[in-house]
Amino acid sequence: MLRTIEIKQSVFESNDRVADALRAELRARGLFLLNLMSSPGSGKTSTLVKTIAALKDELRIGVMEADIDSDVDAHTVEKAGAKAIQLHTGGMCHLTADMTRQGLEALGTEDVDLAILENVGNLVCPAEFDTGASKNAMILSVPEGHDKPLKYPLMFEVCDVMVINKIDVLPYFDFDLDLVREYALRRNPKIEIIPISAKTGEGIDRWCDWLRREVKSWKEG
Amino acid sequence: MHEMTLAIQAIRNVLEFAQENGIDEIDTVVLEIGELSLVVPEYKEEAWNAACKHTMLENSRLQIDVTPGNGICGDCGRVYNIVANRGVCPGCGSRDKEVLSGREFNIKELLVPE
Repeated sequence: MLRTIEIKQSVFESNDRVADALRAELRARGLFLLNLMSSPGSGKTSTLVKTIAALKDELRIGVMEADIDSDVDAHTVEKAGAKAIQLHTGGMCHLTADMTRQGLEALGTEDVDLAILENVGNLVCPAEFDTGASKNAMILSVPEGHDKPLKYPLMFEVCDVMVINKIDVLPYFDFDLDLVREYALRRNPKIEIIPISAKTGEGIDRWCDWLRREVKSWKEG
Repeated sequence: MHEMTLAIQAIRNVLEFAQENGIDEIDTVVLEIGELSLVVPEYKEEAWNAACKHTMLENSRLQIDVTPGNGICGDCGRVYNIVANRGVCPGCGSRDKEVLSGREFNIKELLVPE
């Protein structure tokens, strides 16, 4: 004979609990953590390089690069003037709050004001797992198309800011900037939208202003 | 897409629960997985079996109950199954909706010998 024990426990909630605890700790320490997500090839690393160049004199930046298996990106970011480590995810399609905490410990954050987690390139899985970050950002690049908020709604729901990268190639693509705004705002009315080109530098000022503002208000609690 | 992490986390939670409640044998673990959770039940079983190795769950059975992905239409208020209707309200044709159920990934219950 078998006895049934009811549990009704959400497995996602286990990660959520770790994430909330990490966020509270970061808040207490005044350390701002940005979770940066996107598809592969959207320009996360080149956007970071421009961001570091613009902010390195006022903020101490630390970057955690998540990758299945390589350290190309960490070297690039380090050369730009930030502290960087590579997190090998060993085939995982996303980072959990636990892995993020371990990453922060490996990075060492005593001398960091702004920590950036470059999540695995993927619009699906990273959106499902709260990393414990202060804010979530995503980069959508022009060649990917303006329909992405319709196809990957959860990603746009969990992000505080959407950066639209590669606007320098807008004339060559059927990418409708107004339409992507409309689609993203429909999923998430509070999402901030910042068009940039990591190549020409257009819009980087506005993006850096957003970061400055968020880091400051996080520190002030 | 991320069956392995969820399997590992779920197993960890079940083992913790068993330890706290003095359960030393589990016949069946029942998971409740939503149609919209992006988890593929077949992959889940494989990941589960791999992640259970060398734990007390190694010989336990896994049962997966699938919960429907239902949503409420943002335009006409109708409640419908999102998967069966491919995300379009069968009443008014709108795609605008709020998900009511189907994203869950829960440990529902354990069947243990009396």
